[in-house]
Order: sequence, then C-alpha cells, then structure tokens
Amino acid sequence: MWLPLLFLIIGVTLGILTDIRIPDAYSDYLSIAVLAAFDTLLGGIRAQLEKTFDDTVFLTGFFFNITLAALLAFLGVQLGVDLYLAAVFAFGVRLFRNLAIVRRIVIDQKLLTKFRKK
Amino acid sequence: MKRRTQWLLSTVFLLIGFMVAVQFQTTSHETEMRDTRDVWEVREDLKTQQEHQQDLLEKIAGADQTIENYEKQTSREQVETLKDSIEYLEKKIGLQKKKGAGVELTIRPIFEEGVAGQEYPSVSPHLLSRLLNELNTYGAEDISIGNERLTNLSPVRDVNGSTYVNNRPIGSLPLTIRVLAEDPEKLQDRMKASPTQDIFNIDNMEIVFEVKEQLVLPKYDDPLHLEILEEAGG
Repeated sequence: MWLPLLFLIIGVTLGILTDIRIPDAYSDYLSIAVLAAFDTLLGGIRAQLEKTFDDTVFLTGFFFNITLAALLAFLGVQLGVDLYLAAVFAFGVRLFRNLAIVRRIVIDQKLLTKFRKK
Repeated sequence: MKRRTQWLLSTVFLLIGFMVAVQFQTTSHETEMRDTRDVWEVREDLKTQQEHQQDLLEKIAGADQTIENYEKQTSREQVETLKDSIEYLEKKIGLQKKKGAGVELTIRPIFEEGVAGQEYPSVSPHLLSRLLNELNTYGAEDISIGNERLTNLSPVRDVNGSTYVNNRPIGSLPLTIRVLAEDPEKLQDRMKASPTQDIFNIDNMEIVFEVKEQLVLPKYDDPLHLEILEEAGG
C-alpha cells in the first residue's frame, strides 16, 4: 500500500515544482477532472472493501469518467449552458454515497469482529 | 494485491496528485499580480515617486511657513498673511488675471475651393473637450477660451447646437485659446504632433499655434458654485 502513497506524494511535488498554471478558460476542465479522479478513487476503495475490485474496471473508469466530464464541460461551453455543473453535481452525489458505503462497511467489519470476539 | 494492480494504482495516484497540485496552484495564484518590471522601469517609478515626495515636502514646508507667520505676527500682519493666502488661492483657481509665457492657439475655418454650399464650421463640445484634455495632458497650467477662463468647475456644453463654456457661448470661428505652460515650446511641439489636429481638419478647421512670451489670461468672474463641495476631514 505504500507504493501508491509514494507516487501520490511524487505527483503532488511534481505539480508544485513545475509551476504549471492552467489558463482561466480551462480551469473548469481541470477542476472537474480532479473531481472525477476523487470519485473514481472512492469507488475503487469501496469496490475493494466489497471484494469486487477489478483493476481493468478501475482504470477504464478513471479515464472514462475524466474524459466524459471534460466532454460535458466542453459541450456546456459550446452551448452556453453550465453543463459542467451537472457533472459536479453527479460526482458530488456519488462521492458522498461511496463515502457513506465505505464508512458503513468499515463500521460493520469492526462491529463484526467485536461480536466474534465476544 | 497483484503487482500489476499496484503499479496501475500507483500511476493513477501519480496522475491524481499531479492534477490536484496543478489545480491548487491555479486557484491559489489567481489573484496574485506578477511584477514584471525590469530594473529600469523600477528605477523610473522610484524616481517619479521621489519627485512626488519632494513636491509634497515642499508643499508641507510652505504650509508650515504660513502657519508660522500666523503665529508670530500681530493681528494686522495676520490679516496681511490671510490676504496673501487668499490671493494665492484665487490665482491658483483662476479668479484672478494671470500673466506668463504660453501658447496661443487659433482655430480657423478652412474653405476648400470648388466645394459649393460648404457649411461654416463650428467647434463641437466633444472636439473642444478633446483638445482641452490633450492640452492638460501635455502640461497646460491655465487655459482660457476666447474670454472665458477655464476653472476646475468650468463646463463645456452643447446648448441648442452651439457650444457653451462657463454657460456662455464661445461664438463663431476664429476662436482663440490661450494656454499658459511652464515650457510653451514643448507644449506646442507636442500639440503639433498630436492627432487632434487631424480631427479638426476633418471638420474643416485648422489650429494655428503661436508661442508668446507674454500672455494675459482673463479672470473667471462668476461666483463659484461650491454647494456640492464638502470640507475635507482633518
């Protein structure tokens, strides 16, 4: 489990050190991509806890979600409708739902282990 | 966890970390203005600020002197000082005649040959405002239009199609504008190079400049309407 964490730290350092800034016009895309990434991450954790984790699903989900979100934002800009808000909403809801499920599973496991001890 | 899965996960984490860092940087640096001046520009700014400071210090010294005069003198002398101050201020805002070196601008009509039924040109308020702005930009200190002395409150307006300055019509062309300046030659050169002349030419008018050692500007003789002004705090 230490390798992904190490890579996360490397990624953050790289991002800060390279001093890259996204122009205002594209900041929507990046924010939505970050949101999609978080969503996929929490989904992955949940799947892991439910023992249904599959790396292909995880990886395709990650890239597919990001692309779709960016596409939606792009379409929104072209149509003059803030469609990216729809993506933000959808990802936000999913984020909270996944978080709730993860929390429940963790609590359940702890309670179960306690019961077993008894 | 399989080794392949772990590497895949790590790559994804790397991407996420990178994106988050970039996003963080984009949002946190948005309001910060980058200082891109080079050494010379900074020096120039410093110089103007120093000149400004010098100017302010001189003004403070002058004000201090006036205060000192008040404190030291007898009541009759105090009245003298007060009168001096009033005179100085009146001169400054244009309530007194002013003499000095300056530029005399004459706006004259141009008549093209062969154009039948040409209208007699007149200076519109827009044009006049533009000219005044330009003069002020290039270092004019006091301006009079015809017989009207311009003060800080002087309006330039369109009333029923004719141009009014200080609520009186400026009359028809030719029109004389007298401008006092510290460096009349420079003002003249700058005005000659400015595009305002071309704009006057479009409306069939030309501006003739003449530098004069002695110019007398009339005083502004209407009462100043200062109802909307308020005393500054202090």
